[in-house]
Amino acid sequence: MTTYAERPTISPAPGSLQPGVAPASKGKNFVKWITSTDHKTIGYLYLFTSFAWFLIAGVLALILRVELTRPGMQFISNEQYNQVFTMHGTIMLLMFATPLFVGFANVIMPLQIGAADVAFPRLNMFSYWLYLFGGLMTFSGFLAPGGAASFGWTAYAPLSNSAYSPGIGGDLWVIGLAIGGLGTILGAVNFITTIFTMRAPGMTMFRMSIFSWNVLLTSILVLLAFPPLAAALLALESDRLYGSLIFDPANGGAMLWQHLFWFFGHPEVYILALPFFGIATEILPVFSRKPIFGYKGLIAATIAISALSVAVWAHHMFASGQVLLPFFSFMTFLIGVPTGVKFFNWIGTMWRGHVTFETPMLWVMGFLVTFLFGGITGIILASPPLNFSVSASYFVVAHFHYVLFGTVVFTMFAGIYFWWPKMTGKMLNERLGKIHFWTLFFGFHITFLIQHWLGIKGFPRRYADYLATDGFTGMNMISTVGSFLLALSMIPFAVNVWITRKSPMVGVDDPWGYGSSLEWATSCPPPRHNFLSIPRIRSERPAFDLHYPHIKTEGH
Amino acid sequence: MSPFKGKSRALRLGLFTVPLLLTLTGCSQVSGLGFPEGVSSVNDISLSLWQGSWIAAGVVGVFTLVLILWPAVFHRAHASKGEFPKQTQYNIPVEIVYTVIPFIIVAVLFYFTAVKQEEIVEKSPTVAHEITVNAFQWSWQFTYPEAGEKATVTGTPSKPPTLVVPVGERVRYTITATDVVHGFWIPAFMIQMQNIPGITNSLEFTANKIGEYPGRCNILCGRNHAQMLFTIKVVSQSDYQQYLETLKASVA
Repeated sequence: MTTYAERPTISPAPGSLQPGVAPASKGKNFVKWITSTDHKTIGYLYLFTSFAWFLIAGVLALILRVELTRPGMQFISNEQYNQVFTMHGTIMLLMFATPLFVGFANVIMPLQIGAADVAFPRLNMFSYWLYLFGGLMTFSGFLAPGGAASFGWTAYAPLSNSAYSPGIGGDLWVIGLAIGGLGTILGAVNFITTIFTMRAPGMTMFRMSIFSWNVLLTSILVLLAFPPLAAALLALESDRLYGSLIFDPANGGAMLWQHLFWFFGHPEVYILALPFFGIATEILPVFSRKPIFGYKGLIAATIAISALSVAVWAHHMFASGQVLLPFFSFMTFLIGVPTGVKFFNWIGTMWRGHVTFETPMLWVMGFLVTFLFGGITGIILASPPLNFSVSASYFVVAHFHYVLFGTVVFTMFAGIYFWWPKMTGKMLNERLGKIHFWTLFFGFHITFLIQHWLGIKGFPRRYADYLATDGFTGMNMISTVGSFLLALSMIPFAVNVWITRKSPMVGVDDPWGYGSSLEWATSCPPPRHNFLSIPRIRSERPAFDLHYPHIKTEGH
Repeated sequence: MSPFKGKSRALRLGLFTVPLLLTLTGCSQVSGLGFPEGVSSVNDISLSLWQGSWIAAGVVGVFTLVLILWPAVFHRAHASKGEFPKQTQYNIPVEIVYTVIPFIIVAVLFYFTAVKQEEIVEKSPTVAHEITVNAFQWSWQFTYPEAGEKATVTGTPSKPPTLVVPVGERVRYTITATDVVHGFWIPAFMIQMQNIPGITNSLEFTANKIGEYPGRCNILCGRNHAQMLFTIKVVSQSDYQQYLETLKASVA
């Protein structure tokens, strides 16, 4: 049997991350950050960069909402409108939400499995630079003559070829995404290797936290989905630049693009959802003071979702008249089953717990309520006859914002408030956190709930304009008002980060008091290689076992 | 953080549920839940599925919402309860139930879906009328073969065309595109289909109520996507014959 003794280490001087190193100048700090191979620092870079993109794409969304408030074009042209929603979607999905997963996974996953770093630290930094410069390249289309890409984030062929979308903005979009996508692929390789080879002694797969499990399954999905996207993008660029005819409609190219794109696009939705489900699953037990309910069933459900997610892509193409409706409809319905199981795991965790509502928990509740409604409209859309009624309308826009915003943004803030003390050593202000939550919650629902009716009444997505006689004006106005409330909710968050920057350090490993997973068994923030000593890992709650050795889990 | 007192707790519960309740009550005021009744053969097939699905969704949604909010309200930490609840981790019977029940629900939904989608996409051996719907950047071209090969109505972004169809008779629409992908969508009729260049799609339905309905392109097709509108005008059978005659005369 292995014994665990305290390792002889030099304890870090108070207020400095590096033992024995004097506080460096700003320039030296900057160089240290951009040359770091520490998974935490790289994770912070990812989180910071993706959050910046979130704000930029949010401003683009406000431009769209302002333009749609009243019929007629008031501020921008049709072409500019197309550029703005194309970049809004592209940034939110591929430059915000996807790298946000990489950021959280980088910071948290090695801590949760008891590793000193990821398997390939330098590859990790390389992935970040690919992401940053790929993203900047895509965005730089706005500086190009003719402007940024305007063919939608779905880039349907042949609209996206050089005949219908000339201009270098489109090329920058294609190649920027291909480069950023390579970063994502390499990140996934890194995470899978880390989880398979670097878990601490005692950390078996079935003792691993749900977040780390979801990072693993998400990374596998990345390896299935992103290479086809890269292939499709490079083939598209070959069409655009060299005049190849891969996506020529005469050879069925229009459908080929839809299949390739959605073969990436649907798993991508789960790449965005799973890690954030993981964050919710980390937070619920801590503020219910209970273990996660049905841990193994939850892992099975996540594996089922991952498997099914690669067999449902053509539900985005129900109205194409070219896909086998019953198969893709059935697969899509089926994916509702493991998703339902997850809901009951989350509810079961809170059930008869001792529930408290610190800010992270509040955000998770917001996620549960919002995602529930997005899931329900997802089941409606899974049925082709109903899909024929509302596909490609604002009903779909509302549905995917409930799903994606509900999952990614609500649990992003949950995760930020939850792990802020782990990352910075300081607590965020609870009162401001709650103001932030309620402003965003109402802003979100006012913006997007009404859009379901807009879609049912016949407003197609991606329309720059509508007629005064269409009857869309009132609903669009409500949505625009909501979007500004949503945008305002960023102010209390910014104030919160600013006013707590000089708060006292929490000084304990687990400021929330009931943390389960291993990151709560090391200091806030953790030392350079994460752990001065690793506690015994004998269940999926090593930190909880360490702090409360007398509490027993029941119901096996 | 101090535990909420009774009143503010109820207030917070109310704040949480309002958006969802609004959804449900907002829908139930309209019998078609947002869609008109009896306007097309597709509408006749799909509307009951739309209504039934929403009722199922409402029941499941409210049930789950209550389950989410119940522990949030009634299972709060309290000093009198002690620090820790019972550390329940598994309950196999409950886990089986909540796996099997969603499966049954989606199986039922799929059954009705499969039956109805077959009816919608079914092609009859012969149809009374045929119309070709060709989409281009950025308008529509409707061709009526019954009135001769050249009997075509073409719109522009600023002058959207009208698609004239006879009431109560099944029409086969041949759906094509000349440049990029477009989407032929008649919201009130609960039907749409993509116009895909290089591919000939077809669709059959009957318009059942005389009147005018808006139609819109719903697949992004470039700069003037939002101006790619049309009107579908459902007329009596004699008016339709007359329309075909005038069309024939105008192109002759």
